[in-house]
Amino acid sequence: MGDEVLSIDGLHVSVDGTEIIKGLSLTINLGEIHAIMGRNGSGKSTLANAIMGHPAYEITSGEIKFRGTPLDEMEVFERARAGMFLSFQYPSSIPGVQVGTFLRKSVSAVRGENAPSARDFRKELKGHMEALGMDKSFLGRYVNDGFSGGEKKRLEILQMLLLNPCLALLDETDSGLDIDALRVVSDGINSITPTAGSLVITHYERLLELVKPDFVHVMIDGRIVKTGNADLAGELEAKGYDWLEA
Amino acid sequence: MISYPQISIPPRSEHLWRYTPWKRIHPTKVEEMPDSDEIRFSSGENSEMDGSDEIARSFIHTISKVCKKVTLSNETLELDLRCSGHICAGELNVESTGESNLIIRVSGDAGWTGIRISGKVKDSLSVAVINDLASDGHFLRCEDWTVERDSTLEFATLSAGAFLNKSDVRVILSQKGAETRGGIASNGYGSRHDDHHFEIKHLVGHTDSSFVMHATCDDSSHSVGTGLLTICEGADGSDAGQVFRNLLLSEKSRAEAIPELEVLADDVKAAHGAASAPIDVNQIHYLASRGLSVDTATALIVEGFLMDAFRHVKSEKVVATLRTRLLVHLECLVNG
Repeated sequence: MGDEVLSIDGLHVSVDGTEIIKGLSLTINLGEIHAIMGRNGSGKSTLANAIMGHPAYEITSGEIKFRGTPLDEMEVFERARAGMFLSFQYPSSIPGVQVGTFLRKSVSAVRGENAPSARDFRKELKGHMEALGMDKSFLGRYVNDGFSGGEKKRLEILQMLLLNPCLALLDETDSGLDIDALRVVSDGINSITPTAGSLVITHYERLLELVKPDFVHVMIDGRIVKTGNADLAGELEAKGYDWLEA
Repeated sequence: MISYPQISIPPRSEHLWRYTPWKRIHPTKVEEMPDSDEIRFSSGENSEMDGSDEIARSFIHTISKVCKKVTLSNETLELDLRCSGHICAGELNVESTGESNLIIRVSGDAGWTGIRISGKVKDSLSVAVINDLASDGHFLRCEDWTVERDSTLEFATLSAGAFLNKSDVRVILSQKGAETRGGIASNGYGSRHDDHHFEIKHLVGHTDSSFVMHATCDDSSHSVGTGLLTICEGADGSDAGQVFRNLLLSEKSRAEAIPELEVLADDVKAAHGAASAPIDVNQIHYLASRGLSVDTATALIVEGFLMDAFRHVKSEKVVATLRTRLLVHLECLVNG
């Protein structure tokens, strides 16, 4: 089990007293890409937020372990420092805080003693930004403030590349992206795959053509009702979800 | 013009004096004319300023023994105002042409400081006032600016010092094409009381104004923001807006935000708004998910919120100076 990065066992999650996740189990190993698909409101984003420890999401039973450590023993920032990353569906804006300052603080916090020098950080940042097709003027803008949907998603992927996590949770990272941006973002996701486990939440097959999942799970009403290989995404695209409810 | 002792004490029912009455900000008893020490200006020529019928301006004028003038022309001036002694006061005249920056830093350990500034803007002037006074002092500040044809006044105030603050800033957009924009960032801590009043008068049409005040209120601090936007009769085509936002960081802190509009012209755009709220839990979560502890995340959000008051200030020099001073101030609050 040395390669196991995330294990979820019998998870139940409530939001404002309403149960959203109703008994979900999942294991992700290093180097694996898992995709979760499902209708709106099926609990996909709830799962990602619960794993990352958002205070509005209450785990009422079950357990989540990250590399063998129960997550209820870890604060949110400790999860990030341990190697967990969530690319948010709707990243918060932080007006007045420049992207460059934020990235530097984040990298210093997550990498700790291994944080790069200012010079090395700039070099690393420049490389990733070029790969993602981001202009350096981005660094002077306020975090997610007035960003287009595509810009927000690029910034999320830039953070993921800089923080180099061993578990990446990607919550509808493909939404709002044009074809070129989707390719750029997909390249970013693929680049961390050898050293990380990934959980990709998406509605569309088009992302999964570029980021090849090892497993596709279908979520309905807070439960995983079917698991298959990458072909399942195509089947869902063609047939929808009704056939799985029967 | 009547002199200070003859001016009647303004009642608290007046918008301007509701939260910090004259009695409270006056350094001694209201009928007294105390002796004052001079503010030490790092530069400027000796000058004179007219009296005023307004009580605070008249009082500062009467007790001040120093008045300086700075004339700016396509330049940046960093002006230090050192304030010491029991009561300290002074006046400053500003004239500006071309593209200029004026950074006024008010510092020192005076028990009470009174400053009156009067300025005329031709072309473009960006002014920052940084209140860096010792944390146990009292500070009264009055400013009057006139912006001329096709000219722009950018203003920015970082209010971080002194225990009891009252500022009254008035801008007149006197000719067509005049514009003013900017904001106040107020950092409340301890039992600091920080009261800012901002008046913008659109005297003629086709003039623009945009004002924002951001206040963070921690401990048992009290922030007050009152604004008055007047669009005079016939000032059609004017565009004016003012917004007050307060970030409440503790249960005991208080914030008042009262924008007022007086629109006497028909064809104008005028908007105002006010909001007070604690830090958004989603912002904290977002930063925590990037490895920042809750304390670090909170500090970063507070810093950003205050800097965001200056988002409409285009002068990079002014914004960079404000950012540096804010960081130093916040660092000092944490480390003592």
